[in-house]
Amino acid sequence: MEVNRLLESGKSLVDRLSLSIIQPEEERLDVEISAFNLKEAVKSIVTANWGYLITITGLDIPPKVEMDNQAGSPGELEALYHFANENAIITLRVKIPYSNPQIESICDLIPSASLYERELMELFGFDFVNTPNREKLVLPDTWPDEVYPLRKSFTGLADQEKNKEEKK
Amino acid sequence: MTDSPREKFIVPIGPQHPALKEPGNFEFTVDGEIVTDAAVRLGFVHRGIEKACETRNYTQDLYLLERVCGICSHIHATAFVLGVEKLAGVQAPPRAEAIRVLAAELERIHSHFLWLGVAAHEAGFDTLFMYTWRDREVVMDLLESLSGSRVHYSVNVLGGVKIDLSQKISDQIKKEMDFLEERTHYYMKVVTTDDTFIGRTRGIGKLSKERAELLGGVGPTVRASGVKRDVRVIAPYSGYKDFSIQVITDDEGDLEARFVVRIKELLEAYRFIRVVLDQLPPGELTTRIKRKIPEGEVISRVEAPRGELFYFIQSNGTEMPARVKVRTPSLCNWGTITDVAVGHKLADMPMLLVGIDPCFSCNDRMVEIKSQSTPSHIMSWESLRKYGIEYYK
Repeated sequence: MEVNRLLESGKSLVDRLSLSIIQPEEERLDVEISAFNLKEAVKSIVTANWGYLITITGLDIPPKVEMDNQAGSPGELEALYHFANENAIITLRVKIPYSNPQIESICDLIPSASLYERELMELFGFDFVNTPNREKLVLPDTWPDEVYPLRKSFTGLADQEKNKEEKK
Repeated sequence: MTDSPREKFIVPIGPQHPALKEPGNFEFTVDGEIVTDAAVRLGFVHRGIEKACETRNYTQDLYLLERVCGICSHIHATAFVLGVEKLAGVQAPPRAEAIRVLAAELERIHSHFLWLGVAAHEAGFDTLFMYTWRDREVVMDLLESLSGSRVHYSVNVLGGVKIDLSQKISDQIKKEMDFLEERTHYYMKVVTTDDTFIGRTRGIGKLSKERAELLGGVGPTVRASGVKRDVRVIAPYSGYKDFSIQVITDDEGDLEARFVVRIKELLEAYRFIRVVLDQLPPGELTTRIKRKIPEGEVISRVEAPRGELFYFIQSNGTEMPARVKVRTPSLCNWGTITDVAVGHKLADMPMLLVGIDPCFSCNDRMVEIKSQSTPSHIMSWESLRKYGIEYYK
């Protein structure tokens, strides 16, 4: 099958850098990768001219609190870099903690990624190191700092203000 | 000329505008007449739809997502239902899939006609604008008689479609396709032979195949640069599995090629629609689908009139999705604009902007010319358009 051949060639590019690889659908490969290795993996995909970056999806994994108030897992963010080559899709998945949400920017390899990185920075609170443009892309200029609307904990600006008051 | 430091002007375009659909803001830095840098600012119509999807059930989301865009509404709903059906392990009946792609091609026709008119208007060719928009009404009427609505046809439901085609409407569509085909051949002649028009399009805004691929552009914009990227063909979905469609490309990569590619796509759409109508499979329109969608993640890619539309849907096993990510084709194509604009004349900007068929629009009422040494100089979008037209007289 054509799609298998494409996925195999893509897999060989990132295999050595990956933490785990699964195949959720016939034409998809999900490659878990550390934030440290991400740029290297993107570089090998771009150098081999394997497809193009469709977009970067952000996911919020809120912190889990155990029943007896014991600390569960801390909050995490996940960035999904989707690359498509014909009908094959390889997704590089990078998980980072809220406390240290840094990923190296890939804009010097793929200039158009700037738009996606800006989107993730303002909507999720990712921090892309060396990204060329940190200006707001979709949120209004008056939007408060460090309020990230696509995190699960965000339920509206009014609630946000109320929480702030209570904390004071 | 004295040796005074060269003045650098920044020309913001946007966010308000009367010509297209949605607002966006561009800042072009100019050195005299030549653009040296371009930046984009979007979000003036950011409505938080992705967030809103997380608090509504799948059926409500379907109607919400159809309203992402007022032009390619059907294709958004299609991308979403195909994703959700895949997660649920449900396959819509063949007749439903055929009707989905039929509506998608009708939508492409009305979208391309709308674009052709807007582009003609920006070039100062208002006769062509009037003609194309008159012809576009033919498709709008067809969509209305099919679904009862001109814009948000709501053809899709989870698990199928809710409209059917009678013999009468099928004959009517075929008749109108013949009329539009004749008109389209005429438009092709106009955009490739009219001297004034060619002056604004030929050799302008060249985008090489390599750049187009690297920038991740999609749709007719990069197909005009010879990139064979069309989801309908490289990863067929829905009815395109049964009915094949041809990819239209052009090697020139300039504005004229973007006209040629879109007009040829119109002709291909007429052919496709006739084939679907002739071979429409009989049978049911819907299958049952559960309200709760099993846990999982799915990627759904479809070809909207402007290019590849991408949906990522994550389900947590409830009635509401955990995450819906939408990547519209216009977003990728903005990247090509900021690249292509550099080195061109300010007078070419209106045409270059409409050349990608922007869905968040970039046109605007107020254009402010910023200067570091002199106070801001404000002119209207209308005067920038006229400036472009005068420049090429």
